[in-house]
Amino acid sequence: MNNIKIKSKNLNVYYGDKQALFDVNLDLNEKEVTALIGPSGCGKSTFIRCINRMNDVIDICKVTGNIEMDGMNINDKDLDVVSLRERVGMVFQKPNPFPKSIYDNISYGPKIHGKGETKSELDQIVENSLKKSALWEEVKDRLDEPGTSLSGGQQQRLCIARAISVNPEVILMDEPCSALDPIATAKIEELIDELKKTYTIVIVTHSMAQAVRVSQKTGFFHLGKLIEVGKTEKIFKNPDNKMTQDYITGRFG
Amino acid sequence: MNIVLIFLITIFSISLFFYGKSKTKTISIKDNIKLNALPKFYGYYLVLWCSIPALVFLLVWSLFEPVIIKSIIIETAANQGATFNDKNEANLIYEKIKAIHLGTYFGDIDSILKESALAYAKFINLFTNSKVVLIFGIIIASVIYSLKKIKNNSKARDDVEVILKGLLFVSSLIAILTTLGIIFSLLFESIKFFSVINVFDYLFGTNWSPQRAFVRDASSITAAEFEELKDAFGFIPLIAGTSFIAFIAMLVAVPIGLFSGIYMAEYASIKVRRISKPIIEILAGIPTVVYGFFAALTVGPFFRQVGENLGLTVSSESALAAGLIMGIMIIPYVSSLSDDVINSVPQSLRDGSYAVGATKSETIKQVVIPAALPGIIGSVLLAVSRAIGETMIVVMAAGLAANLTINPLESTTTITTQIVMILVGDQEFDSPKTQSAFALGLTLFIATLILNYIAQRAVKKYREKYD
Repeated sequence: MNNIKIKSKNLNVYYGDKQALFDVNLDLNEKEVTALIGPSGCGKSTFIRCINRMNDVIDICKVTGNIEMDGMNINDKDLDVVSLRERVGMVFQKPNPFPKSIYDNISYGPKIHGKGETKSELDQIVENSLKKSALWEEVKDRLDEPGTSLSGGQQQRLCIARAISVNPEVILMDEPCSALDPIATAKIEELIDELKKTYTIVIVTHSMAQAVRVSQKTGFFHLGKLIEVGKTEKIFKNPDNKMTQDYITGRFG
Repeated sequence: MNIVLIFLITIFSISLFFYGKSKTKTISIKDNIKLNALPKFYGYYLVLWCSIPALVFLLVWSLFEPVIIKSIIIETAANQGATFNDKNEANLIYEKIKAIHLGTYFGDIDSILKESALAYAKFINLFTNSKVVLIFGIIIASVIYSLKKIKNNSKARDDVEVILKGLLFVSSLIAILTTLGIIFSLLFESIKFFSVINVFDYLFGTNWSPQRAFVRDASSITAAEFEELKDAFGFIPLIAGTSFIAFIAMLVAVPIGLFSGIYMAEYASIKVRRISKPIIEILAGIPTVVYGFFAALTVGPFFRQVGENLGLTVSSESALAAGLIMGIMIIPYVSSLSDDVINSVPQSLRDGSYAVGATKSETIKQVVIPAALPGIIGSVLLAVSRAIGETMIVVMAAGLAANLTINPLESTTTITTQIVMILVGDQEFDSPKTQSAFALGLTLFIATLILNYIAQRAVKKYREKYD
C-alpha cells in the first residue's frame, strides 16, 4: 500500500445555492491511478478541480471542508495557487493546446515558473516532457509547427506533456479520452500506465472498461456523494453498495 | 396623382388577399378538392399579381413621362417658331412653359409660349389619363390571369416562393447597382481629372493648392497654364496629413480601447459589464459634428493655452487636437470589437494556462491576446479606415492648410477636408479643381477598401480557427 498523497475531509462544494459535493472523504495514494466514475453531473470533475483550485476561476463556486496534500491544506485561502498548480497538473476533457508552436506549448509552463533559464535547459525540458508523453518520435522534426496542427490524440498527449513540463507531483485527468478514438485512447492509457511510476494520477472517466484497465483504486460518485471507494478490482467484482453494483452493470446512469 | 394610384393599388391588393383566401377555401370545401397550397398562399399570389405589374408599370412610366413630354413640347415650341441655339436654351424654354402651365411664371408671355403652354397642358392631361387607363387595364388583366390560375388549383405556394425570390433578388441588385454607380461616377470624373493632370504629378506631388486652378475649361488650357496646374495637385501633403492625424488617433484609441476591451472581457463582473459596455458604445453614437466643435472650441484652445504657458507655438487648429478627439471617437470601435473577440477565445485555453500555474495577467498576455490577435488587428484596421474617412472633426479642428509637416502642434489637413473645401460653394463642374475632388474620393475609397479587405480577412481567419 502506497502513502496517502491527497486526503479530503468533509469536502463540500457549492455553486451559488446549489450544493455539488456533500462531505466527500477520499484518500488518493501516491504513485497510483485513482479512477472516479459515476453518472454525468455527479461531482467527479468538481472534486478533482478542488485539488488544483481550478474552481477559483468560477466566481460563484464556494468550497468548504479540508483537502490536504502531504499535510498542506489546499483549501487554505492564503495558499499560493501558482505553486499549488505547479505541483498539481491537469489534463482536460477536450485537447486544448495553445495556438502556439508545439515547442512553445511545452515551454510555456516552465518559463512561467522560471525553470529552464538557458535555451538548452529549456530544450531539454521540452524533449523530456515529449518523451514522457510518448510524442517525441512523432513531433521531434516539427517542433515549430502549431500545436493545433496535430491530430486529436496527439494534441491530448501534447497537453499531457504540457502538464508534465513543470514537473508536478499529481496529474489530474478530466475524461482525457472522451474526445478520442479507440486507438488514440489506447495510447493514452498505455501512457498513464507508464506515468504512474512517477506521478500520482486521478482520472475521471465514463468508461468502466477504462477504469478497470488503468486504475488501482476506484471511487463511485452519485449526486455529489462519494458512494463507495476501494480497490478497483473489488469495486468492479464485488462492490459493497447496491448502487455501485447497479451502475457498473449498466442498470442506471 | 401617383400617390392616389399607389393607394388604390394597395387597397385593391389587400382586399384581393381576403377574397382569394376565402374563395379558395369555399372551392375546396364545396368541390371537396385537396388544395395544392394553404388558402393564404392563394391570397398572397393574388396580392403579388395585382400589385407588382401595376407598380412596375407606374415606376417605368413615371421615369419616362417627363422625358417624352419634354421632347414633344420642345419640338412643338420649335414648330411655333421658338428659337434656341443649344440644349440649355431649349431647357430654359421648357421650364418657362412648365411654369406658365403651373401659373408660377411672371415674365412676359408671348404667343409662342402661350401656345406651347396650352399644348403642354393637353399632353399632360393625355398622359395622365392614359396612365390611369393602362394601369387599371394591367391590374384587371393580371387579376383575371391569376384568378384563373387559382381556379385551376395551381401550385400557388411554389409560385409565391418564386415571386418572393425575385423580389429579394431585385433588392440586392439595386444595392449592388447603386454601389457600382457611385464607383463609376467617381472613376469617370477622376479619369477626366487625370487627363489634365498626370497621375504621377498627382500621386507624388508635394504641393496642394487647387485654388490656383481657376482654368474654366479643361479643353482650352495653354501651355503656361498647364505648367501652373501641374504642381498644384500634389497628393503627398494630404495623405501625409491624413495618415498623421489617423496615427495620432490610433495612438489614443488602440491602447485605451484595447485595455478597456480586455477589462470588459476578462475582469469586469457581469454587472459592471452590463452597465459600462453600453456607456462606452454611446461614444460611437455621438454625432461627429459634436466631437468636431468640442475639438475646435475646447480642446484646440486648451492646447494652445498650455503651449503658450510652456513657451511653444501651438496653432489653434492643430493635428494634435483633431487626432486626440478622433481617437476618443474611435475608442468604442476598438474596445467593443476586441471585447467580442477576446470573449470568443475558448475558456478551455484559459483553463489550460491556469492549470500549469499561470496567473490571470500572464494568461491574458501570453495565451488570450495571441489567440485573439487576428481579430484585434481586424478591429484596429476597421478603426483606422474609420479614422481615415472621418471628415467633420478634421474640418473643424485640423485646419485647411496643406502643410507637409510632422509637428503635431501645427495645423494640417486631410483628404476628406479638402474634398469638402473643393465642393463647398459655387463650382465650375469641368474645372480640374472640382474634378480633383473626385480623384481624391477615388483614392480615399481605394485606400479604405484595401484596409477593410485586410481587416475582414484577418477577422475571418480568426473565426475559422475556433468555429
